[in-house]
Amino acid sequence: MWSEKHRPQNVSDMIGNEESRAAIMEWFAKWKKGTKPILLVGPPGIGKTTIAYLTAKQFGYDMIGLNASDVRSKSRINEILSPVLGNVSVLGTPMIFVDEVDGIHGRGDYGGAEALIQILKEPTVPIVLAANSDSSEKMKSIKKVVKTIYFKPIPPRLLRVYLQNILKKEAAKLSPGSLIKVIDKSHGDIRSMINLAQSFVTGFNPQTEQSFESVNVEDGINAFFKAKSLDEARSVLYSMQIDPRQKIDAFYSSVITSNLDNHTFSDLLNILSKADVLYGKIMRTQNWRLLRYLNEILIKLYKNDERIRYSQYNLSWPLLNRIRWDGRKIKAFSLLMAKKLHLSSSAFVTICLPYLLFCVKNKTLEVVLDTEFDDIIEKEIELLK
Amino acid sequence: MYITITNSDLLVGFEPRVHMLASGMWVEKYRPQTLSEVVNQTEIIGSLEALIKDPTDMPHLLFSGSAGVGKTTTALCIARQILGEYVRDYTLELNASDERGIGMVREKVKKFSRYAGMADVPFKIIILDEADEMTADAQTALRRIIEDTARYCRFILIANNISKIIDPIQSRCATFKFTSIPQDDVINHLESIAKKEKVKADKKGIQAIYDYSEGDLRHAINLLQATASLGAVTEEHVRASAGLTKTTDVDEVLKIALAGKITDAREKMIELIKVYGMSESDFLKYLNSAVFKSKHEKLSDILEVIAKYDYRILVGANPEIQLSALLAELGKIES
Repeated sequence: MWSEKHRPQNVSDMIGNEESRAAIMEWFAKWKKGTKPILLVGPPGIGKTTIAYLTAKQFGYDMIGLNASDVRSKSRINEILSPVLGNVSVLGTPMIFVDEVDGIHGRGDYGGAEALIQILKEPTVPIVLAANSDSSEKMKSIKKVVKTIYFKPIPPRLLRVYLQNILKKEAAKLSPGSLIKVIDKSHGDIRSMINLAQSFVTGFNPQTEQSFESVNVEDGINAFFKAKSLDEARSVLYSMQIDPRQKIDAFYSSVITSNLDNHTFSDLLNILSKADVLYGKIMRTQNWRLLRYLNEILIKLYKNDERIRYSQYNLSWPLLNRIRWDGRKIKAFSLLMAKKLHLSSSAFVTICLPYLLFCVKNKTLEVVLDTEFDDIIEKEIELLK
Repeated sequence: MYITITNSDLLVGFEPRVHMLASGMWVEKYRPQTLSEVVNQTEIIGSLEALIKDPTDMPHLLFSGSAGVGKTTTALCIARQILGEYVRDYTLELNASDERGIGMVREKVKKFSRYAGMADVPFKIIILDEADEMTADAQTALRRIIEDTARYCRFILIANNISKIIDPIQSRCATFKFTSIPQDDVINHLESIAKKEKVKADKKGIQAIYDYSEGDLRHAINLLQATASLGAVTEEHVRASAGLTKTTDVDEVLKIALAGKITDAREKMIELIKVYGMSESDFLKYLNSAVFKSKHEKLSDILEVIAKYDYRILVGANPEIQLSALLAELGKIES
């Protein structure tokens, strides 16, 4: 990965945010017991982690890195940090770096933020924190006990110099148009710019505008089923950098609306079903690393089949409209009636509603509803067999 | 991409005012109001009456049994008997299959149980119907909720299948297994309702209702009312009304899926779930009974496919994808 390979080796190799970098250097140079910890705030990918590592190295500290998931609970923090904070240290000269502090206070962080603040108040080693934003409530209490240093997005002209430097080292080329697109798309995030440039250069159809556009869902799906080889399909699939849920759904609606024989249809849906199971497991267990297997399940969908084209919707328009208009009314009505009849709305709609409508039709029962519901009762009576 | 309509869309300024008394429905009109009126279940009613003689001692209760045997009715009777005139304010009724997750249940219970009762009642009562629809994780959270609110609240949990209730919850409740109501009792009850409503009903008609509703008294009474809307309750009129329920539509989905018309089967399945709001688990339940009714020669192959996708729905993320894949695989069975 280029973004790792080309991580700067010295603070002076970095670009942008000169003043912030100088402030950090100064803080390290002057650090003594009791100096307030620093908090680096700025958007992702502009070098907060990098500068923490580099300055630690430069000033001869052994860095202990934590991220949000390590700081979940008080006991976990103490378990990790107490040997460091104590007087006797077997770890040389330690310093602490906590990444993503704004992520600490998610659910299940029992006392994590409070425990961290206690440590921040009486620092016995240098502590550097990093966050994408400092506007949340929890961040306010952290900010009281630290010195905040802000990082800004890197301006395009610097990004361009930096990227061209990397391209030169990699002996790779990008057309001027693509170069601008990559820089523009990155919004000042160096890491994403480098990643983008790499996927662009090594993509299945390098150096043309089209490979860049294949990130788009529609073109991606169409290119996938048009691909001439499995390898080509695979690189299309990997270049579709969208939310995995969106990816599965896009393939689902495209497959379901295409005109296929039953066997092919069933095989493809079975694969999508497996992909969905994996995604469900990931969501349930929050084991995001399993996500890396998703594309390898989806690649089994590949066949060079022009019949499968991208489709955004997977239902016919009449049914979509019925869900949107009738469904809304029926559901509101049945939820209300189900409560009155001490039932679930599903049980009401399956068993009771048809009988109720039948009685209304035969005029032995009367239902008076707000006018906007009148038509739905009439319509459903029509639909009774 | 498909359009999802959530409950919150429905509830914001979109609640119909229904000017029909629930008592227009015979199931409500003839719902027993006291324990002694409950049909059959004499043993259970006897011990429940003893249990609530001194209400302060009442444990949490867990009722299990198939549909339409009187579980919810019994729970409502207990609430009425203990809380008297305060029953409306001090009873919270929830149906697990209509709540969006355990978080929703927790919020509602928390709000409801916050203060001790102001009136002269021993505790508040929370009736949680279809508790076996909750996942094991949700039930574990429910167990905490039960413990946290035990000072002011008693739970009556209702489930079709007690084996789907986790042990820690079972052990905290007095459990009552409701048996199915004997044929004679159902028939007598239907006849007495017909008499009160001044509807002519012949023996064969009532028998047909019993056969069709398979011991589910609620279903039987609903069918009786629908049949009566045609005039007399005769076998012929019962047959004309009996096919109305949406379970017939599920039979249909199975039939067209097996015939290989997958797209049609899928649209119909989606109509049931997304237009009418049949839950996925109910759909699968009715699909199962449709398979048994069909007496298909590849019955076990079909059930194996259904079982596979039922499991995948439980671990998967999008039931629609799973159910579509299920129907597509059913479409291959006969070919």
